[in-house]
Amino acid sequence: MIRLESLTKSYMTKAGRHYLFKDLSLELPTGRSIGLLGKNGAGKSTLLRIIGGIDHADSGRVVSDSTISWPVGLAGGFQGSLSGRQNVTFVSRLYVPEDQVAEKVKFVREFAELGKYFEMPVKSYSSGMKSRLTFGLSMAFDFDYYLIDEVSGVGDAAFRKKSAALIEEKRKSSGFILVTHNLKRLKEQCDAAVMLSDGKATYFEDIAEAVEVYDSYAIPTK
Amino acid sequence: MQPSPKRRTSLQIQIAAVRALFWREVHTRFGAYNLRLGYLWVLLAPGMQVLFFLILFSTIRIKVVPYMDAGLFLVSGILPWMMFSSAASRAMGAVEANKGLFNYRPVMPIDSIIARTTLEALLSFNVFMFFLFFLWWFGTTISIEHVPLMVLAWLLLWVFSIGFALIMMVIGHWSAEVGRFIMIFIRILYFASGIMYSLHVLPPEALKYVLWNPIPHVIEHIRHSVAPAYPVHHVSLEYFLQALIVVLFLGLLLYRGNERSMMTSKSR
Repeated sequence: MIRLESLTKSYMTKAGRHYLFKDLSLELPTGRSIGLLGKNGAGKSTLLRIIGGIDHADSGRVVSDSTISWPVGLAGGFQGSLSGRQNVTFVSRLYVPEDQVAEKVKFVREFAELGKYFEMPVKSYSSGMKSRLTFGLSMAFDFDYYLIDEVSGVGDAAFRKKSAALIEEKRKSSGFILVTHNLKRLKEQCDAAVMLSDGKATYFEDIAEAVEVYDSYAIPTK
Repeated sequence: MQPSPKRRTSLQIQIAAVRALFWREVHTRFGAYNLRLGYLWVLLAPGMQVLFFLILFSTIRIKVVPYMDAGLFLVSGILPWMMFSSAASRAMGAVEANKGLFNYRPVMPIDSIIARTTLEALLSFNVFMFFLFFLWWFGTTISIEHVPLMVLAWLLLWVFSIGFALIMMVIGHWSAEVGRFIMIFIRILYFASGIMYSLHVLPPEALKYVLWNPIPHVIEHIRHSVAPAYPVHHVSLEYFLQALIVVLFLGLLLYRGNERSMMTSKSR
């Protein structure tokens, strides 16, 4: 379960205070997936990070008894001069006791199929190899919720395909919080949605309704 | 399939995070590609300083170092200082430099400070040991009578550095300019810490002010521990301990007040 209690987030800009959302409250029962809708810069990724507990709102709070992943797909998590193995070991150490680290590393090595590149610095990887490592790593753990950000970071086509596969694989056991521009997938893979528009956040219990409203809001202004 | 991440206590999570960050730092600095250069630099940086002052001392032919071997004197001043100052300067940009790591929820800013400062301390201590061995090999008398005192002094300096690094991290987070100003102040402090001269050659008027600085208190004890003939009557570990408690308390207090802000996005 994840509960958002009257979250407000704003940034100070030269033109004054800019609100991403005000007084956002909602409760997400375990297992339900949620899509975040909004134009570029509306605050989708920020909301994703706030739900994940790695960014903070100005006021309000996030209450949760679930395990939540890091934002999958976000660039900046890997240290380029370290090998794939060293990066995976680092993250595994953060999330599981030491005696399970070797098992996680083995899982990622097999899943990512990087061959000898697994022992080479991540900065020598192609973007496809990087996304295989990213997804191998996120597959190795069973979080109650996965945060997936396809918009910022390395959101190329291969990456989106991988993330669709991750969701298919994990949707029986986990919930998702998904930021994507692909409305069709959002409809298929999410149960509910939050739409961010003009400094307001609107919660929709029904994803189809959310997409409909978003379409009529976003398309004419394109 | 895979077991879900097990519930751990906050302390277990913090220890795991510090541990992971520590090894990440070790691998980054001494990884396969930096191996030779990494190790070499760890020895070269203090080695060159020691050499510089040894040459300087022998040219000006002044007995600036009473009661002990000049090389030993320099080594036991320069390495503790390097540990302290590099911990402080690295802490200044720590929030910005570690932004990517805060994507992993178990990682808190303080963990990176503890991990990095501990690595600095271990490196400096090991390089110190290396130089002691080197000097001993070439005939310098080194006492092992006060090894516990030496270890204690290093441990206290390590904790002091963590506290100080926390303060620097918070300052660097709020204003990089103020942080840089403090780093300049620390460079100046180097000359007022009795590193290339002995406190015993200072006139009492100068000594009075230098002794406000906690660093020479611990450095003089390290010197005394490897060369017991070197007196420690001006300094006191008790004073250093008091300074440590103040610095650590202030560091933790500032950290606690600013942890959230360090992990909050301000703009894009």
